[in-house]
Amino acid sequence: MYTNLIVGIVIILGVAGAYIYYALKGEKKKVTVAAKKSVQVFVQNSIRLFSIFVIIALLQTFLSPEAVSSFLLKFNGIMGVLVGALTGSVMMGPAASSYPIAKYLLTNGAAVSLTAPFLFTWVAIGVVSFPLEMKNLGKRFTLLRNGFAFASAILVALLMGILV
Amino acid sequence: MKNIFKNYGVEIVIGVIAIVLLILNPEKAIPSLLSAFRTWLSLVPVIIGIALLTALISVLLPKERIGKIIGKDSGLPGLFAGALFGSLMVGPAYVFFPFFGELKNKGASDRIIATTIGAWAIKPTWIPFAVTILGWKFVSIFNILLFLFAILSGIFVQAFMKQDQR
Repeated sequence: MYTNLIVGIVIILGVAGAYIYYALKGEKKKVTVAAKKSVQVFVQNSIRLFSIFVIIALLQTFLSPEAVSSFLLKFNGIMGVLVGALTGSVMMGPAASSYPIAKYLLTNGAAVSLTAPFLFTWVAIGVVSFPLEMKNLGKRFTLLRNGFAFASAILVALLMGILV
Repeated sequence: MKNIFKNYGVEIVIGVIAIVLLILNPEKAIPSLLSAFRTWLSLVPVIIGIALLTALISVLLPKERIGKIIGKDSGLPGLFAGALFGSLMVGPAYVFFPFFGELKNKGASDRIIATTIGAWAIKPTWIPFAVTILGWKFVSIFNILLFLFAILSGIFVQAFMKQDQR
């Protein structure tokens, strides 16, 4: 978790430098406007992000890794690929928490072609963050990007099924 | 008041769900809310940094300059820069969505934004951990495919966005 702190501080220091640069360049008024706006952006982003964190935390509490794994182990073949990709799209969280689930799946006989799309959509698709993506980047962008990601997950499943 | 509902519709619904769960199942809902708060707290420096950066871009950076660096004509170097930025950043990609939205308003291309979000799935700092759990072969093939996906994702999204504008 220290990486978040370090990267955050690096960004803050870098941007603070830019603010000072513009202030010295004689754009003090604009810098003040930007600083005020940043407070507003911070509050707004915090509300939006916090509600996503709540959903993720609820998902993690109510759908334990064991429950998700035993659900996924019921499927194989093409159904396994699809269900793996869909489950990964709904589940969200740090990439690191998906690896132990993947390990459990593989050691309990799940196919690579189920595990790979699950891992893939876990990081590449976030159903929970759809509203935020649409609001900021547009409906069309969101649909195209996530549609492509889902199709890629299926392709990755087939490729990894052959290669691994 | 109407604006608040329009702006924060999703968040209000989530808030209501959280309150209902707090009443029905507090043993599970309270730890969930605490964990959400801890996630927010661990990301506060990043969220502050992004807020400062977003405001800076929106107020102080001229559109032409952003367009030049990560705009429609930035070509392959821009695409690879996006992929590199995406794989090196920390935290979930959606923390950066408002920032990407501002960049898009200022002329950043959809291609680079989509590639950057795609490359977010590559987490170099977690690769050693992933290897100990899933093995070298699985992790290396998986990450190569993720990188290809990130690049192709940008090209795909851009191709279909353009048709829209024609």
